[in-house]
Amino acid sequence: MGPFLLRRLLHLLPTFFGAMLLAFLISQLTPGDFFTMREMDPNVRPETLERLRAQFGLDQPLAIQFFKWIWSILQGDLGMSMQSNQPAWNVIAGPIQRSMYLVIYSTILLYVMAIPLGVFSAVRQYSFGDQVISFFSYIALAIPNFFLALLFILLIFTVRTWTRELFGFNELLLPVAQMTSSNHLNMTPFQQVVDVFWHMLMPGFVVATAGIAGFTRVLRGQMLEYLGSDFIRTARAKGLGERSITYKHALRPALIPFVAGIGGLLPSLIGGAGLVEIVVSWPGITPAFLNALNMRDVYVVLALLVVSTLLLMIGNLISDVLLAVVDPRIRYS
Amino acid sequence: MQQPPQMDPTNLAVEAGPAKAGKTQGRVVWEQFSSHKAALIGGTVLILMYIITAFAGFLAPYGVNEYRRSPSAQYHPPTTVHWRDAETGRLTAPYIYLSREERDPLTRQRIYVEDVEAGPYQIQWFVRRPQASYSILGIWRSDLHLFGVEEPARIFLLGTNNLGKDVFSRILYGGQISLTVGILAVWVALFFGLFFGGLAGFYGKWVDDLIMRFIEILAAIPDLFLLIILLSLLRDPRNPLAQAFGLQMNSGEIFLLTVIVLGFIGWGGLARVIRGLILSLREQEYAQAARALGLSELKVLFKHLLPATASYVIVNLTLSIPGFILVETGLSFIGLGPSEVDTASWGMLLRDATNRGLGIQFAPWLLLPGIPIVIAILCWNLVGDGLRDAFDPKRRTA
Repeated sequence: MGPFLLRRLLHLLPTFFGAMLLAFLISQLTPGDFFTMREMDPNVRPETLERLRAQFGLDQPLAIQFFKWIWSILQGDLGMSMQSNQPAWNVIAGPIQRSMYLVIYSTILLYVMAIPLGVFSAVRQYSFGDQVISFFSYIALAIPNFFLALLFILLIFTVRTWTRELFGFNELLLPVAQMTSSNHLNMTPFQQVVDVFWHMLMPGFVVATAGIAGFTRVLRGQMLEYLGSDFIRTARAKGLGERSITYKHALRPALIPFVAGIGGLLPSLIGGAGLVEIVVSWPGITPAFLNALNMRDVYVVLALLVVSTLLLMIGNLISDVLLAVVDPRIRYS
Repeated sequence: MQQPPQMDPTNLAVEAGPAKAGKTQGRVVWEQFSSHKAALIGGTVLILMYIITAFAGFLAPYGVNEYRRSPSAQYHPPTTVHWRDAETGRLTAPYIYLSREERDPLTRQRIYVEDVEAGPYQIQWFVRRPQASYSILGIWRSDLHLFGVEEPARIFLLGTNNLGKDVFSRILYGGQISLTVGILAVWVALFFGLFFGGLAGFYGKWVDDLIMRFIEILAAIPDLFLLIILLSLLRDPRNPLAQAFGLQMNSGEIFLLTVIVLGFIGWGGLARVIRGLILSLREQEYAQAARALGLSELKVLFKHLLPATASYVIVNLTLSIPGFILVETGLSFIGLGPSEVDTASWGMLLRDATNRGLGIQFAPWLLLPGIPIVIAILCWNLVGDGLRDAFDPKRRTA
């Protein structure tokens, strides 16, 4: 196992540097930098801008900028944010953490919902329930995340109109925006956790929908394949109960790709959460990325790219390792 | 990007030649496809949608950006079309009333009331409106519209947006961009995928290594961020690429740029599979025979190896079109899509719904452009699934 891990890690290094080079080159595609906008400002003297450019190393040739940047990354320094004049890591740590809440919650939701749905559809193939699930899966795969979030917001508002007219209850059932309530700071720590959880119920579900649908369909297919195979027939012939056959013998091999897929899920959900974060004003990675890009705060943009690329690569590595651990057919020699 | 469900490519590629006596492969595939009911329905709906958007100018009563400053019709709800005569209650030709802007006495919100005194305005068929001229497929220019009403009345079947632009007309026009982006991006992905996948599989050695490493690098950066940064920087007319080609970044060029960037992000997976197929196919007897008969290496590649991957490529591409549409709507939604102010796409229309912050409860009709998005993606998925089953010999029904 040790040498296998080491080899995989070494294999990742060139890819990582390649990705960083590509990201750096792309970030330089447009002339002008963070201070270009300030050139128009009559209150800012050109010498000040020159000094600031020199301070952030923007006056040096591209190649030197790149190697300096890579060198500082290797030392764990992601550069400075020009917009807020503090280390870029301080700027992005918060959004990454807040996106992670959303992503971890929707990952749990994904597994909790998709496994029972997939097993049900496979065991009751062509039943009414199976057809309903498969119909909704097709719809869920076709709905853009951000559109679903907008629909939910509309639904929550509509429900309030009804409850107001019927019971005089003039509150939203679920929060539709932001991550915290306005009185969040006055809450006890426990209330704060509940508050954040309450706010992510809707966006977390929206982020998970497409995944749930895809997962359910693939699991159904896998289960059907295993349920029709010889070792299941043998198990039946030996007199095993349906319960044990379904959950012990068919579900376990069918789950292998999904267990291994956990690693790949985290980074893909970050991308998937992106537009939903914008719709519900969740202060996560994607809004921070768009803001930094608009301000041409290049080191923050690059820092976010570095971190999300690292997450993606580590996720893939975890998947490979898990797959090797779970599936005895894969050898790591 | 959403990955299309995979199928086993190996059993497709070798399956060349007539599968059953007397039937060509195309015929077998068509028979299989047409027995797949959901795929047929999906295909029919898609064809209808494409026809409708091609004739968007004729079907839409207003131009894509047409609006009136005064009296404006901002956030006008869908116009009620009356079918019954106001006095006798009998069925008549459809008519509408002039709508008048008022303020809600309690909330001070803008509301619209029907001005019954001004009398009914009949819906007229085949109206000419020179202020909303259009061209169909860039060939026929005309200003004839299927329906319309006499000024000053206006008909908004699906309401209006924050500037008073007709949502119904804009959905029709928006389809022209939203529905073509996927198809065009697929061709770009196909070009890159076939070219680099073919090269890597055929030449092997360092060419293969180089191309495969590049694909890995491209896949290592999250798609959404790569798309956002590429598009937002490339749209700036000052960037070196635009300068080199003398681009001004008008709407046509931004559309092309988006298509190319989308395709560029999406070719990696295809190239990998093509490479794998070519690697196994080039050792097959027929490829060796072609080489022994004196055909040049490149000719073997283009005439014998790449065509053998066709069935896989067709299915893969069909299944990736909905993914491209999904990504395009998302990009348009955050303002980085292929459409500019003088055009529309469905994702961009949904952006209008968020203009009022969380006020979509007062203008829910602005969410309607999402429905054609869902239908289009759903139908493409159905057609793709049908094609996959039709091409896959393992899934064939008798």
